[in-house]
Amino acid sequence: MSAVAESLRGRPYELFASVRGWGREIRHDKTALVGLTLVVLLVLTAAFASLIAPHDPAAQNLRARLLPPVWLDKGTWTYLLGTDHLGRDVLSRLIHGSRVSLAVGAGVVLLAGGFGTVMGLLAGYFGGRTDAFIMRWVDTQVAFPGLLLALIILAVVGPSMGSLIAVLAINGWMVYARMVRGSVLSVRQLPYVEAAEMVGCRSLRVVFRHVLPNLVSPLLTLAILEFARIVLAEAALSFLGLGVQPPATSWGLDVANGKEYMFRAWWLVTFPGAAIAMSVLGINLLASWLRIASDPQEREKSFARRAVHQRRRPT
Amino acid sequence: MGRHLLSRLWHGLIVIFGVTVIVFVVTRMVGDPVAMMLPLEATAEQRSAFEHELGFDRPIAVQFGEFVAGAARLDFGDSLWQRRPAMEIVLEKLPATLLLTFLGIGLAIVLAIPIGIVAALRPGGGADQFTVSFSLAGLSIPQFWLGLILIYLFAVRLHWLPTSGTGTPAHVVLPMITMALPALARLVMTVRSAMIDELNQQYARTARAKGLSRFRVVGVHALRNALVPILTLAGWEVIRALAGYSVVVETVFAWPGLGLATMQAIERHDLILLQSVVFTVAALVVVTNIALDAIYQRVDPRMKLT
Amino acid sequence: MTVRSLVRIVLAVLCAAFCNTAAFAQQVTIALGSEPTTLDPQVREDGSERAVNDNVYETLTARAPDGTLVPGLAAAMPALVDPITWEVKLRPGVRFHDGAPLDAAAVAYSIARVIDPKFKSEQASFFSTITGASKVDDLTVRIRTNGPDPIMAARLYWLKIVSPAHAATRQIATAPMGTGPYRFVSWNRGRDITLEANKDYWGEKPRVQKVNYRFVSEPGTRLAGLMAGEFDLITNLLPEFVERVPKAAHVQGLEHPIVILNADAGITKDVRVRKALNLAVDKKALAEGLFEGRAIVSPGQLLGSAHFGFNEKLSAWPYDPKQAKKLLEEAGAAGKKIQLVGTSGRWLKDREVIEAVAAYWQDVGLKVDVKIYEFSEYLNRLFDRNTRADAIFVVNSNEMMDADRSLSAYYKAGGVGASNTDAELARLIDSARTEVDTGKRRAMYHQAVQRAWDNAYFVWLLNIEDVYGTSKRLQWTPRVDGKILVKEMSFR
Repeated sequence: MSAVAESLRGRPYELFASVRGWGREIRHDKTALVGLTLVVLLVLTAAFASLIAPHDPAAQNLRARLLPPVWLDKGTWTYLLGTDHLGRDVLSRLIHGSRVSLAVGAGVVLLAGGFGTVMGLLAGYFGGRTDAFIMRWVDTQVAFPGLLLALIILAVVGPSMGSLIAVLAINGWMVYARMVRGSVLSVRQLPYVEAAEMVGCRSLRVVFRHVLPNLVSPLLTLAILEFARIVLAEAALSFLGLGVQPPATSWGLDVANGKEYMFRAWWLVTFPGAAIAMSVLGINLLASWLRIASDPQEREKSFARRAVHQRRRPT
Repeated sequence: MGRHLLSRLWHGLIVIFGVTVIVFVVTRMVGDPVAMMLPLEATAEQRSAFEHELGFDRPIAVQFGEFVAGAARLDFGDSLWQRRPAMEIVLEKLPATLLLTFLGIGLAIVLAIPIGIVAALRPGGGADQFTVSFSLAGLSIPQFWLGLILIYLFAVRLHWLPTSGTGTPAHVVLPMITMALPALARLVMTVRSAMIDELNQQYARTARAKGLSRFRVVGVHALRNALVPILTLAGWEVIRALAGYSVVVETVFAWPGLGLATMQAIERHDLILLQSVVFTVAALVVVTNIALDAIYQRVDPRMKLT
Repeated sequence: MTVRSLVRIVLAVLCAAFCNTAAFAQQVTIALGSEPTTLDPQVREDGSERAVNDNVYETLTARAPDGTLVPGLAAAMPALVDPITWEVKLRPGVRFHDGAPLDAAAVAYSIARVIDPKFKSEQASFFSTITGASKVDDLTVRIRTNGPDPIMAARLYWLKIVSPAHAATRQIATAPMGTGPYRFVSWNRGRDITLEANKDYWGEKPRVQKVNYRFVSEPGTRLAGLMAGEFDLITNLLPEFVERVPKAAHVQGLEHPIVILNADAGITKDVRVRKALNLAVDKKALAEGLFEGRAIVSPGQLLGSAHFGFNEKLSAWPYDPKQAKKLLEEAGAAGKKIQLVGTSGRWLKDREVIEAVAAYWQDVGLKVDVKIYEFSEYLNRLFDRNTRADAIFVVNSNEMMDADRSLSAYYKAGGVGASNTDAELARLIDSARTEVDTGKRRAMYHQAVQRAWDNAYFVWLLNIEDVYGTSKRLQWTPRVDGKILVKEMSFR
């Protein structure tokens, strides 16, 4: 026990120990480490974009358009990943774009996921009229063309990042509700839930303490899938003028802009696309590690596996 | 069961009606289709004359009355943009979208279940890591990129398939694959995660300990229990494709479906065609949901439905 | 049956299936960006419908490939009988595809149909001056206008002549029938449209026997189709791909990107600011860089060199960012905010031009607030008479090739897209509209565009070329007016 640990007493020590515990957990899981590194890298890039980016993402140079990345013929070190159709540095745009993409992706997932989960819980748990009403609301929204909804909202509120997040969230909460409702319906019948009800737990307590933890796994998976979808959906909206306005940019918008030149300048679509893929991968690795690490059974299993492995190694 | 079905149908009608009315009200509040129909240099008088001819300067209550009367006969009027009955346009384009959706999403579902199960059998193993990386890549790439690359490889370079359009079975191959891949990626992730959760449960280990074959435990018992989230997402993919999200594939492959027509109707503020489309899509969504809930019941009898 | 003869039969069958070059070579396949929604030639303002119907129907006047107006179905150019009546004599011996003769009754009917408000034609604004038409005898028609209309000949170039009997049926929307060099064969909705050569055509017999139109909205897929050998001609090719395609054809087109400046209010009220905005943009870089040479710098007017009213004496504003900064300082506008409104995805490279112009303005010290709106919202701003934005981007396309159309819309105070209240300019344009003396009319337009140039009411940008991709075997020169006439095509 270090001197630091010894000086802590009570709750602070517990926290310190648990952080150390998690740290130990993650150190032993290589893929999770990769995931954590990616996510941290992303957050830092987004936070310090202006410091890291080699060029101003809006600085155009019409004489240096569509230059390839440095390792190809005609590439230069000035523009490491090449330039876009207006001669702007792809790398700098990638770095600055991370802000919008991550903010929109995370924002929408939290907003839509939160709202959708609550709706799904209410529908699944209380059933009857509540379920009918909420599900019919879901059906109505699903049949309504998403683009039309976007146009209407943005005509009223005006394009901005906030309204973009709102539009994408409004268009995206239904899948969470359906997923959660389905899971709740099957979990509701389980003995321990019934037991909790019989003992006299308030409905809300049952829902949040007993039903919800079972949903963490499918919800997390869904959230990651939705994150990827949102980042790309934002592209379609921004391209039409319903999202970020120039000179601001996002990965999705770069992908949409690069589509026209795909066969002439593949790097315009590939690098932002790769960035999206990397973020999704990182988040997924981290999330799946979180899922396992937060389950005490799994922690036991991995501890046992490590112990056996250590014993087996020749001394 | 019969009573339940009846009540669902009744609710379905409410949804369909509700959606159509909302579209009616909203589209008349926002944007002016006349502006988009005439050339930019037409004068203001020309525009208002046009509007008058189309009947859009009448009070909204009058327009609404006419709309409801027509809707009861499934007659939504003539599309502003195409100048022919809107329902005719919808019914003409619907089969193409249905074909694309069922082939594409169908393929995705059929492939996702075995792939997801194999990945779930040994979480963290080679097959699993490969599957997960592939899936994450698959759902991060833009669909138009996938479509264009496939066209370039198989049509331009290899000349095995046509670049776009419809007509022969060969024309369906690339659009179907492009439609299936992102859905496949999402479904594989869902199947895998659901199966991992099920296989971790006590009952799975108990069943194995009792001597049941691996195949029975995984393929029959675990799969059955994991089906609820899988079915939810599969149904969701179908509904989304029908509700217009097939537009990217339809655009890239010049596939004359409803998704593309919907987007064009929105861009042109063709209120009448939009009403027809939304009505039809709402009907499809309702039917799909009823079917889905019926499947839920069969799969997991524990679920008590309203 | 010997093996040899069997092999020969199999080879023959295979050859017939895969190498029917004889039939195949006689068909040209054109990929359009969208499918026509109706083939009625008088209802919609639709480029893809025109692409098809320009071959099936004809008009009273025509244009030579370089743009000069010549007689078409008319025997001679329309002549004025009195200030508000034009007389057109028809070419004898022309028949519709169903055998009926082309006569004055058909012409009068066609004109009446397109201007009838109940018909709700989107093209009506092209013919706003026409009040009616009547038959004088079988081959003579008189057209009445609501005032002197010097550009009747240019208008008639867009008025397709239909058969009264055919137009009365519903068939006209799905099975066009005119007097043109090609007959309609079939329309498979969602798939293609097929035309075949008209053996009884009154003019020069077309060389290409069959035309097949396909509809592909995605530019990448159109390009792929050309490269895979499925198409002979694709439209709206991006200049960047000129090297990739088997053959590219281009011509100075009708499209003029331009920025409308608000001369009455806000930061652009001061003429020095407007001049600075012009000087700040490197138009040559836009033409040579952004459009890869497939555009020319616009000489300070919203007119192409082939348009009536074009002022040869005007030249483009030079690129002088230093002078621009100086002017901005003088006007006290340095560092201030300016709003630039535009849209995306409607015209070739519209978003890119807007972003480029904004960046140039930014470089001379202004804070540019770019607002790219979805198209219908953008139209609201463009047509809003009460609040005009500081700067509005638009691409003007003047099919009449005559100054009246674009000047009335954008230069004249009160025009649908105008942002100035210059009464003298408005007076010039209004008088020129009804001036029948060509020389006087031309002089008025020269004055008008000069005045607008002096006051820098716009930032004139470019005149872009129409670029097409073709297969190696197709011989064709694109037209200035943008029409795709298959009778001008042939194979090598």
